[in-house]
Amino acid sequence: MTAVFLDGIVLGLQFGLLGVGLTLVYGLGGILNLAHGSMAVVGAIVVANSMAAGASVLLAVAAGLLAVGALGLLLDGTLMRAVYRLHGESRVLLSLLLTLGVAFVIDGLLVWRYPIGGLGIHIGGDPIEILGVRMRTGSLLASAISIGAGAILVAFFRLSTAGRAVRSVIQDEIGARLCGINPAAVRSLIFGLSGMLAALVAITRSMTAPITTTAGIDFTILALIVTVVGGLGSVAGAFLAGIILGIVNTVSSFYIGTYITTIMLLAAAGLTILLRPSGLLGRRA
Amino acid sequence: MLEVEDLSAGYLGDDVVHDITFSVADKAAVTIIGSNGAGKTTLFRAVCGLLPKTAGRVMLDGVDISGLSAHRIARAGLAYVPSGRHLFPQMTVSENLALGAFPKRPDPETMAVVLELFPRLAERKSQPAGTMSGGEQQMLAVGRALISKPKVLVLDEPTTGLAPKLAADAYAALAILQAQGLTLLIAEQQVPLALSLADYGYVLENGRVQLEGSAEELENDPEVRRAYLGIA
Amino acid sequence: MTDRLPQAGSAAMRAARRRDPMSLLQNYWPIILTALALALVPLRYGDSRATMGIAVAGVLFATYAVAFNIIFGSTGQLFLCVGALAGVGAFSSAILADRAGLPLLLSMVLATLLSSALGAVFSWLVVRRSLDTIFTGILTLTLSLSFANLILGQRNWTGGETGLVVDAGSETVLGSQIPPYYVMLGLLVIFLVIYRLLQQSHLGWAFRALRDDEVAAELAGVNVARYRIYAGAIGSAMLGMAGAVWAHSEGFIGPSTFAFGSVDVRVIVMLAFGGIGTLLGPVLGAVVFTVVDEFLVSFSQLREALYGGVIIVLFLGFKQGVMFEVRRIAIKLRRRPGQAAPRAQGSRT
Repeated sequence: MTAVFLDGIVLGLQFGLLGVGLTLVYGLGGILNLAHGSMAVVGAIVVANSMAAGASVLLAVAAGLLAVGALGLLLDGTLMRAVYRLHGESRVLLSLLLTLGVAFVIDGLLVWRYPIGGLGIHIGGDPIEILGVRMRTGSLLASAISIGAGAILVAFFRLSTAGRAVRSVIQDEIGARLCGINPAAVRSLIFGLSGMLAALVAITRSMTAPITTTAGIDFTILALIVTVVGGLGSVAGAFLAGIILGIVNTVSSFYIGTYITTIMLLAAAGLTILLRPSGLLGRRA
Repeated sequence: MLEVEDLSAGYLGDDVVHDITFSVADKAAVTIIGSNGAGKTTLFRAVCGLLPKTAGRVMLDGVDISGLSAHRIARAGLAYVPSGRHLFPQMTVSENLALGAFPKRPDPETMAVVLELFPRLAERKSQPAGTMSGGEQQMLAVGRALISKPKVLVLDEPTTGLAPKLAADAYAALAILQAQGLTLLIAEQQVPLALSLADYGYVLENGRVQLEGSAEELENDPEVRRAYLGIA
Repeated sequence: MTDRLPQAGSAAMRAARRRDPMSLLQNYWPIILTALALALVPLRYGDSRATMGIAVAGVLFATYAVAFNIIFGSTGQLFLCVGALAGVGAFSSAILADRAGLPLLLSMVLATLLSSALGAVFSWLVVRRSLDTIFTGILTLTLSLSFANLILGQRNWTGGETGLVVDAGSETVLGSQIPPYYVMLGLLVIFLVIYRLLQQSHLGWAFRALRDDEVAAELAGVNVARYRIYAGAIGSAMLGMAGAVWAHSEGFIGPSTFAFGSVDVRVIVMLAFGGIGTLLGPVLGAVVFTVVDEFLVSFSQLREALYGGVIIVLFLGFKQGVMFEVRRIAIKLRRRPGQAAPRAQGSRT
């Protein structure tokens, strides 16, 4: 039982990392990025290809993260310009629809490029033989990376000037501008960063078990659930929600079954919307 | 230090303020007085970059800042404390103050000076800004603006919502700052307080400058006395 | 107070219509024309079972789009569970007819009522909790995904991943090649007529007021809650009915038949393209995208990517939809030189 619980916490950290980017992008700019998960998968693919080309794990991961960061900045600089011209609900709606289109484009291109019903990206996996030992190293590495990334993020937001600047734009944009902070630059930066964080999750997941090229939508839905439950715009909320849902996920999958588990996670988001729309730690009414 | 020429600005195509010209000399304290709706807030927002201008020019320390966005103007040395304060509610007093120095980290000496000026803030360093009283929030807003060691401190009705004693305290603090050489621009409805601090003043009415003069001249002007000081 | 004003208006309108049968024709000629045009399709393609299947699917999506037009277009409720609601109708009708042995028509009616009730509940929740568009969307999305997982999980009832073969109805007219098309077309025409009637009734007036400015509508006495629930119930009933008809005519339904990606996304694109809030927008969108889909089959592998590209271009450019542009041009042409443009406040047919 303890093992399941611990697994849940590690998974929860990954959920949190997945949700953090999405919730930040929403909190900063009122944008819902449905291409979040697809971008993450792109990162994993770049890593897999780099390693196949002979690069070391470290280099490959760096390449993957940079690629996704660049993709994020590209998106922000082009499509999102049209979105930023709108305000309030129309902005959210348009962002939702445009990023949905982007998700389809990315997923479609990936399926076209790797048509074998989804390329299994398995990083750092020696095939069959020492599978037992191999897998454990892989998941240990993944856990370490998740925990490390989480800690760095928390330190960034709590302690660094840049991190505080990001939080300030979420809490009071005019106040931020009066302090010399450029909200548009912050938004662009975070858009790129959020993609990188999601990519990190995809990469670490693919170290323990293969993910398919169509996993993008699943990641996005997961991120959306974590974001809603944690509270739109709250970094701490995303992690808290992530850990809770991670534990629920592992315990439920272990004792009950996959489909019910998915329904439970979805229900968590639905109930949050109905009963406490501001989420666990969010600020909106 | 700050020169505004023929500034016009407004909302949705209709100008609220027209052809405003005024200047604030280095180390001087200037006040803009006028009743509600005269256009003081609109004027300040336009000067500080939060509102686009339809005409006019703004020069800060000889540099034309007319077309700059609000955050660039802030970094250029124009610190604006709006009447809405715009603090960061979930951040502590220290964090709010620290951000005033963005992009740099706050200078410890300046921080000490600010906390000395506002001892109440020093007592509440770890308190979230959103839980403080109106007077304390006002102090925090001014403190945050001061951390950046601005060239000009612009305040929009700093005594709004403050009890008379706190308002007087606020102006006492401002007087200390002026004595230390800070250039001040204050929009104020409470004319006696404003004139007690300012060297020079402008009277804004219906979006135009109706009158200007030194503090004494304004205090003795019959129109000002009748309209704003309640003296027949 | 609530219903006095609009009812007076529609009573006068109804009286006017009774006096003038020509205006009846005037009101419905777009529907009649469309129905006639679409009725010709089997004459050209009736011999190919595959093509007829595509044609029926096309009309099916048109009905979905009309329903979504009522729910989202009329009252701004972003129901991202169109597929799921149709699926509820389809699966319940199939289960009731095949497993419980109920007569076909009764099963379909019950299935429709079930979908309608669900939709009404969703609307009630939206109203009760004052959910904005985004939360409505996310909530209904979770419901849609839950439904998909429910279908997959309850293998005994729904066939799980392999899907469900639907026997009931195969001996009726629904089982042959061409008649299902006309049944579906008939459904579409009925739905369009209902849409038209709604538009011109006091319900439609309330819908428009509500969509344009909810607060003003509330102040004017429009019971926002009630009308939202009506829209949800009517639209969902349509979805359930269409889904049920599809189940019995196709003879097979599976998890992907009513998935968000297969249904909702396409319906949104179709409606947006054709024109939200217009009468024939849904039909135009459905026809165009059914044809486009067939073109894309040859590029089958790039299909999803191309679809995404279409969505992006569509929402960057065509935001109001084709019908709206058409009407705008028509109005410009009809206006005599010298007349000032009227202040259009979202006045769409």
